[in-house]
Amino acid sequence: MNERNSPYFRYAYNALIKDKGVNIALAVLLILSAFLMVTGSMVMERSIGSVDQLFEEAKPPHYLQMHKGDYDPDALTRFASDHPEIDAWLVEEMLGFDSAAIAWHRPSTGESGDLADSLIDNLFVTQQEEFDFLIDETGAIPQASRGEVYVPVAYQQSFGLQAGDKLAIRTDTGIHDLRIRGFVRDSQMASSLSSATRFLVSEADFQELGRAGGGTPEIIAEYRLTDPSLASEFQRAYEGDKALPKNGQAVTYQMIRLVNAFSDGLVAVAMVFLSLLLIAIALLSLRFVIRGTLEEEVREIGVMKAIGLPDQAIVSLYLSKYRVMTLLACIIGGVLAVIASGLLTRSIQVNYAQAPVGLTTILVPVLALLSVYLFVIAICRGVLRGVRKVQVVNALVHGSTLHERQTARHAKRQARRARRTSLASYRGRSISRRLAFSDLRAESGQWVLIPIVFFLGTVLMTLPLNLLSTFESPRFVTYMGAPESDVRADLQFSKDVDSVRADVLSSMRSDGQLTQVRVFANELYEIQEGEGWETLRVEVGDYSGATVEFLEGGRPEPGQIALSVLNANRFQLSTGSKLTIRHGGESATVVVSGIYQDVTSGGHTAKMQGEVTTGASGYVIYANTVDRADPAAVAAQYSERFPAATVIPMREYVQQTLSHTTGAFRSAAIMSFIFGIGVAVVITGLFLKLRLTRERRKMGILSAIGFSMGEIVAQVKGKALLTMAAGTLLGLGFVATGGESLVGLFISLAGLGIANLSFIPNLLLVYVAYPVILVGAGYLGAVVLTARLHGADKSLWLRA
Amino acid sequence: MPHDDHVMLESRDLAKTYYSTEPPTQVINGVDLIVRKGEFLVVMGASGSGKSSLLYSISGMDRPTSGTVFLEGRDLTSLSDVEMSRVRLTKMGFIFQQAHFLSNLNIRDNILLPAFKAAPKEKDAAVARVDAIMERFGIAHIKQHGITQVSGGQLQRASLCRALACEPSILFADEPTGALNSSMSTEVMEALTEVHSDGTTLVMVTHAPACAARADRVIYLRDGRLVDSRQLGRWSKEQSTQREDDLLAWLRKLGF
Repeated sequence: MNERNSPYFRYAYNALIKDKGVNIALAVLLILSAFLMVTGSMVMERSIGSVDQLFEEAKPPHYLQMHKGDYDPDALTRFASDHPEIDAWLVEEMLGFDSAAIAWHRPSTGESGDLADSLIDNLFVTQQEEFDFLIDETGAIPQASRGEVYVPVAYQQSFGLQAGDKLAIRTDTGIHDLRIRGFVRDSQMASSLSSATRFLVSEADFQELGRAGGGTPEIIAEYRLTDPSLASEFQRAYEGDKALPKNGQAVTYQMIRLVNAFSDGLVAVAMVFLSLLLIAIALLSLRFVIRGTLEEEVREIGVMKAIGLPDQAIVSLYLSKYRVMTLLACIIGGVLAVIASGLLTRSIQVNYAQAPVGLTTILVPVLALLSVYLFVIAICRGVLRGVRKVQVVNALVHGSTLHERQTARHAKRQARRARRTSLASYRGRSISRRLAFSDLRAESGQWVLIPIVFFLGTVLMTLPLNLLSTFESPRFVTYMGAPESDVRADLQFSKDVDSVRADVLSSMRSDGQLTQVRVFANELYEIQEGEGWETLRVEVGDYSGATVEFLEGGRPEPGQIALSVLNANRFQLSTGSKLTIRHGGESATVVVSGIYQDVTSGGHTAKMQGEVTTGASGYVIYANTVDRADPAAVAAQYSERFPAATVIPMREYVQQTLSHTTGAFRSAAIMSFIFGIGVAVVITGLFLKLRLTRERRKMGILSAIGFSMGEIVAQVKGKALLTMAAGTLLGLGFVATGGESLVGLFISLAGLGIANLSFIPNLLLVYVAYPVILVGAGYLGAVVLTARLHGADKSLWLRA
Repeated sequence: MPHDDHVMLESRDLAKTYYSTEPPTQVINGVDLIVRKGEFLVVMGASGSGKSSLLYSISGMDRPTSGTVFLEGRDLTSLSDVEMSRVRLTKMGFIFQQAHFLSNLNIRDNILLPAFKAAPKEKDAAVARVDAIMERFGIAHIKQHGITQVSGGQLQRASLCRALACEPSILFADEPTGALNSSMSTEVMEALTEVHSDGTTLVMVTHAPACAARADRVIYLRDGRLVDSRQLGRWSKEQSTQREDDLLAWLRKLGF
């Protein structure tokens, strides 16, 4: 038989065009579900592919250790010869320049600017010969000629730089000019969470920059191992060797990979999560629609059974419509996903590499679509199994899907309910309102879809918003291991850092615009870990008074130390624990006074009470402005006077440090707002359309006995409003309680350095504007749908 | 045209077309009808002749496509939805083939509903009146029952009680015995006859000649047009067989 003449195909076609509104709403939900699922999986596949491809081309080290200042090259050579697991190693020399010391200029147009907006370290390097290559846009390993520079692709995007632009680097002895030859990808520092980025110059320029001064010399000791899985063991061996340079961050291959995947995989994970949520909503709606169809068409089902069609054939007939609908949704969703994932992975491809198209590139989205299709159809089949329970006589005579025992149980339940509610004793004025309430109580099982959808909608809309407002709040500094203040000055390691600190401090303390000026020194301590010692960054200063919020315990007194959550976890220490630390060759035992949350410096920090002396690797100064003084103006003024210090308002510091994260949360908040509203409106429309069809008889009765259409419609709208509001309120309650813990759990698992997240919500938006908009949108849907009832012939509702 | 005080309901050139079908279906086509006060009028005709459509158009449940309907001289077709629903509440009562009730309310609450709606401040009086009506039609003992716990005949009598709860001027019944067995049909027709004997105007659609024989007058519809009418006079139990035979003969002549 021709496929088009198949009864299943004809049934599916007719069923799809019969109830267009409902079918379109269902299809939209399914398309969105499929789209998000496939986009999420494709973005994941592409991201992993891009990272892998870049790793393939760039050959990043399996272990690296940063270091500033003098070191003993012989110790490194000795260490390398003692460790046969080292396949290759090198010491990369770098020169760090502050962002404000780098300007760009476009000769063709005269445009110019500087990179001061960037807070990350700018490291000038030469190309390596063995591994850890910087890769150009074509995947090649470029060599810079004299006078040329290759700039990180991240800067190409954020500052709109082009090949041919001039880069001017301010050194101690004048300006060093370079011409941008191209852009490079950096396997180590590609992640948007990375705190540094590398510029590629020629050997000659590198030497000249070094001689010119103004840059901070740094090194990275890098190792390729015969077996990358030995990285952790190797790290312990390296850190256990006292002679080796290690006052900076140590990173393993796994960490680079994790950070890369995490920073750009977040969006994909969020999409898959959102898709699962939508699939749940779509299935709830499908279940509702299918059960409604079975009830409405029970007589037809009875006839089909009576003429001897097997249950399986009847189920297949009804399933055919959902097969076609889900298949179409998967195809449309898949096509849209191909377009969207291309856009979404563009920046990943630029930052990392063009991932090769392989079998997985096709298999992953196909499998994602297949899983959506099979899951939806399995659930539909499960609901349609109700056909088996339909009894011919009950279906044909009473039009009921219930068998006799169920009918009896149903009647008993209804009678009990009817007996409990007595209108005779009702003394209120509005009989309409009373009817709406008793309806809701009696039919709560059928209306429950609306509160569920609005609950999910509220959670979907407000959680990302709460995260955004929390990360954007100036009070978020408490999660950054910093006190709440108005202005922050950073002084990085340099020859004259101590004199600059003294100057900045004395200026600030004598400045009438500033108060509560506090200085903290970044010192490098060592902490005993097993047999060896590990570097511990400690911020030393005066912690008396309100400084940092502690998760447990309190501020450090002399002889005590406070640890960040990640350090406490790493060294398995808690408040009251004792630990041995070493600084300047002297060991001391200190007690952990408390644990705080910190997302800066990779989350690994510590704080000790003490005098700020000279010789630290850097300093941070916090100050509050007095009334009416503008922190931005004060910061600008100090930046001007002290170019060696980075002085910025605290709000800006939070924004800049977290710009990538807040950017992602902002996109998520906007997307989830649109989705939340869209889904709520679609589901409300779908539900009410079906509900109104099923309530026609009841509306007909009310109309016949003298209720106006206005009153009948008001009952429907009232019930919708009440259920929407109930779901929204429950959602808000969840967001404020469980939602916070849930997000907190995810954030703490993400290893950002936050173990206990408290939302800092925008109260007006979360508790007033969003609920009003959400419920308002749903209510508008109800108004539009019920508007059609007014002109209807009510007798048809009773005669059907 | 001045209103005749003896006329309860009048339709002039009434037409009704359903546009939901392709092509549109004209179910009533220029019906002129007068129902006198206290009259028991039965509308008969084959299936699809437009009987129910006529009933719902003259009762204001549906809006006619054209023509006018007057209830005690008041033009119903010019009323707003709110005004029309007030008229249905206070002046009209309805009984349907299926006893339509709200399943969440017990029998008495269903009957009380229009009474409470009509006079929200006089609830005690409404409860007393409804209890009396239920007593009169023999269903007082099932007032707390749910609608699934009683027989079809009891349900239809409950429908009648609900239709009478606001003491209407006119009662519309759409095949009230259509879903009942013969003993229950008799039960319901006895009750309707009783209501009519109290002076209530009654318009009933039916297929059953035995039920129609109780009417004062029977009209016959074919393809939406009023083709004939037969005056039967006051019903009495003794003459019921004779009236039924006469009616059947007339109906046969009309092709029923």
